[in-house]
Amino acid sequence: MDARTLSLPISTLDYKQPATVQVGSPVSDVIDIMQAEGFGCILVVDSEQRLVGIITDRDLLVHICGKRLDSKTVLVEDIMSASPESLRASDPIAFALNLMHLGHFRHVPLCIWDDQQQEFPVGLISTRDILDHVAIFIESQAGGR
Amino acid sequence: MLYDSAIDEELAQMDHDSELSKRVVEVSESQIPLRRLMRDCVTIDIAAHTQDAIDLLIENHIGAASVVEDGILRGIFGERDILRKILNKDVGDLTKIPVTQFMKVDPQTAGPDDMLDTAVLYMAHGRFRHLPIVDENQHPIGMVSIRDVISYLVDSFPHEVLTLPPNPIRDALKAREGA
Repeated sequence: MDARTLSLPISTLDYKQPATVQVGSPVSDVIDIMQAEGFGCILVVDSEQRLVGIITDRDLLVHICGKRLDSKTVLVEDIMSASPESLRASDPIAFALNLMHLGHFRHVPLCIWDDQQQEFPVGLISTRDILDHVAIFIESQAGGR
Repeated sequence: MLYDSAIDEELAQMDHDSELSKRVVEVSESQIPLRRLMRDCVTIDIAAHTQDAIDLLIENHIGAASVVEDGILRGIFGERDILRKILNKDVGDLTKIPVTQFMKVDPQTAGPDDMLDTAVLYMAHGRFRHLPIVDENQHPIGMVSIRDVISYLVDSFPHEVLTLPPNPIRDALKAREGA
């Protein structure tokens, strides 16, 4: 991996489409989606599909298991991290790394903004996507030896 | 003269930045031993109940812990196990069910003298976040996670990652046109 890679846009990585749930949904819906899709993170949107929060499997551990709550009666807004930091797919990979490192985030939403600066999620970049990129680099270097 | 000096300084800085942008983490640099990256090992006794194991993960701010029997690694238990095997499922009273029911048995491990690239490939191909580090007797002595790999990358490229402005500069050309 070289420094120039870090200036490339995030869109050059194999980032994922985000799974979303609406505000007002029970946390049990989040769990169902995460289990079915194998995701570790879900974005919370309002009725206009604007990003309002993020829920990770860590949040489920701390709030549902740790506090012994019933996921069917707890709403997503009660455990989500509101107004998460986000980036654009056209932003450099270095910014994603910066957020992941300093914010201790595993996932960073990728959004587009409208004229009113409202953000709409279109993707999700994770530490695993970065790891996969590094693994490809290592294998390519090993193949070139 | 002052102008010439400023130009020289600017050119020197550009040369410096140019050299930095060419920096590559060579394969030899990724050959650092895992003992330099691993975090302290948090263990769960094999007789522990699941709720105690969950509370331990929360209290220690970790995503997974090694499950041991007489100090020997038998499994790993973490957030992914909880999501896949416990949440939304009628599993019973977690304060009475042993963690062995939900842990991953015989997880992939690495030694402290194995190299970072080995850990990266294990985690990428095995699709797991945590890699227990064990000694020659299978005693867990540490844990390496994807987060540790990210931290290593950031440490390798501090100029590119840690000196960024708070937000990416976007639409710079548009801003200039409007000025």
